[in-house]
Amino acid sequence: MPSSDTRNPLTRFTERMGRTVVAGVEEVGYCGVLVAQSLFWLVAGPRLKQPVRVDSVFVQMMEVGVRAVPIIALLGGAIGVMLAIQGVHTLRIFGAESRVVIGIALSVTREFAPLITGILVAGRSGSALAARLGIMTINQEVDALTVMGINPVRFLVVPALIALMVMVPALTFFSGLVGLFAAGLYVGADLGISMAAYVDQTIEILSTDDVMHGMGKSLIFAALIAVIGVANGASVTGGAEGVGRATTRAVVQAITAIVLTDMIFAFVVTR
Amino acid sequence: MIHRIKDENGVTVVAFEGDVDLESSPEARRILLDCLGRTSSLLVDLSAVTYIDSSGIASLVESFQNARKAGRHFALVAVSGSVLSVLRLSRLDKVFTIYDTLEDGLARAG
Amino acid sequence: MDGREQKPEKVIEVRDLVAHYGERKILNGVSMDVYAGEIMVIIGGSGSGKSTLLRHVMALEHGTSGTVKILGRDPAALDAKEALDLRKKIGVAFQGGALFSSMTVGENIMLPLYEHTVLDRTTMEIMARLKLEVVGLAGFEDLMPAELSGGMVKRAAFARAIIMDPKILFCDEPSAGLDPVIAAALDDLLLRMREAMGMTIVVVTHELESAFSIADRITVLDQGRILLTGTTEELRETKIERIQNLLQRRTEEEIVDPEEYLERLMGERSGERARL
Repeated sequence: MPSSDTRNPLTRFTERMGRTVVAGVEEVGYCGVLVAQSLFWLVAGPRLKQPVRVDSVFVQMMEVGVRAVPIIALLGGAIGVMLAIQGVHTLRIFGAESRVVIGIALSVTREFAPLITGILVAGRSGSALAARLGIMTINQEVDALTVMGINPVRFLVVPALIALMVMVPALTFFSGLVGLFAAGLYVGADLGISMAAYVDQTIEILSTDDVMHGMGKSLIFAALIAVIGVANGASVTGGAEGVGRATTRAVVQAITAIVLTDMIFAFVVTR
Repeated sequence: MIHRIKDENGVTVVAFEGDVDLESSPEARRILLDCLGRTSSLLVDLSAVTYIDSSGIASLVESFQNARKAGRHFALVAVSGSVLSVLRLSRLDKVFTIYDTLEDGLARAG
Repeated sequence: MDGREQKPEKVIEVRDLVAHYGERKILNGVSMDVYAGEIMVIIGGSGSGKSTLLRHVMALEHGTSGTVKILGRDPAALDAKEALDLRKKIGVAFQGGALFSSMTVGENIMLPLYEHTVLDRTTMEIMARLKLEVVGLAGFEDLMPAELSGGMVKRAAFARAIIMDPKILFCDEPSAGLDPVIAAALDDLLLRMREAMGMTIVVVTHELESAFSIADRITVLDQGRILLTGTTEELRETKIERIQNLLQRRTEEEIVDPEEYLERLMGERSGERARL
């Protein structure tokens, strides 16, 4: 393939477009295969006497979930207060400050808790997953697993995937609680509503549907973070620099996927 | 792998036959530890062992150390050349009590 | 087979193997047999395709065309269970060790046992310590790989490679990057392990000294083709100029095709870059 190209620019552009699209489709396909293989090992692993190890799932859950609790609490709280401030400020224009609780309750539960949690976990754990797999790939540790007859998807991917699918919804729930509570503190102080009244109102506003909406999204985000992290990590070439690139790509792609999915999900489910 | 246990004047002789490998060594280990619980002197006859891998060796090591701790006699007899070379690789030929023949082993153990 | 019944059993059989990396041809019709119990050393310069050949005989990759048979089976045609049975009979010591950095040396060595056997934990631990004894790393089982020196990492990798008492052991550049004394000790270790366990050993290296000291037979690979397979004597006496140059570390004057050279300088043959 000659690189000093004499063909006309349009042909070249089209070709480059085509290649990018093919590469993109290939990557999405690879992600799909990863999910399918993960499911296979989860179900068929024990029968093949190669179960997914529970202890490595727990290690991942600690890392992905438990260690993220403080930062999730901080962000969840900040988002709650921020929404309360903006909500009160906006509704004051109509003299309807007291209606702020509806806005806070719905937006935190349906939107902000899953979104913020997803983005944070993508930055924290998606990148770590990509880096870990990338380093293992260039150190031939993945090859070593394969030649030992240990399937890398079962050994490395499934524990991370399960940990994320459990912990991201859990963190989302926690983040929502903290956010609503923090908002309540601000609203109480600003508008003089008692905490008990705020909690009552919030519970009355929120339906199971709203909670499930947030949780459902967070489950999808978790899968996206895992699969994108793995796909980028596993395709690392070019040494330490390559690992750095893959890590960055994993975070950017995961956050992009989360935001786009969020929009599509909202569009499909809410209307 | 098959095994036979006989009693010769208070000395228990375990004879293994065939391959002692990853598949069969858990059984070999159980048999050895079992016998050690019931006898004060154990001879392991390896003459009919065609192949022993490191899991088999590891079971022998564990049994030997258990026997020593319990003050029991434990020896290997009729170790074939291939088994001996595996023992030599990890210098275990200098650790185990090894007799050339079963008769020899029985004479010393008795 | 082939009617040569007196020869020992072939454990590896490569026939007309062609392999590509992207669009570049790395292996161009390679055929090689490795017999039970021998030490086969594959030598060649960088870019000769020796690492690629190794990846194919370890069944990490499957070629574009041609066949590879390991212990009589074609790894590309096996189902999951059969492939696993084959894998259990193969040990690999990777160039950089490829130890898992999150596990101790002992856990690394025990991993195949833990994953594939129902042995008692005590048995596994004794086995791991036995292998560490063999490679001269006794007492290191609780250290992390990061705490080991380069030579120790390679030894630990050997210990992990032989934990299941494989029939075939593959070693990728066992002595690369080690000082000569440690490298010689590793060569000696390979010879002792073959002696005691009757393993077939395939070594890929560019260290000629090491190759000559351990090999029963040597395969010389050059630009994706086999120049010669033979004993060390056959290799020393060969008339093939490229091999003599290789043995005497002479750099050879490359035949220059002016057109190709110009194209290369103009960057018009970017697909021909050497693979690292």
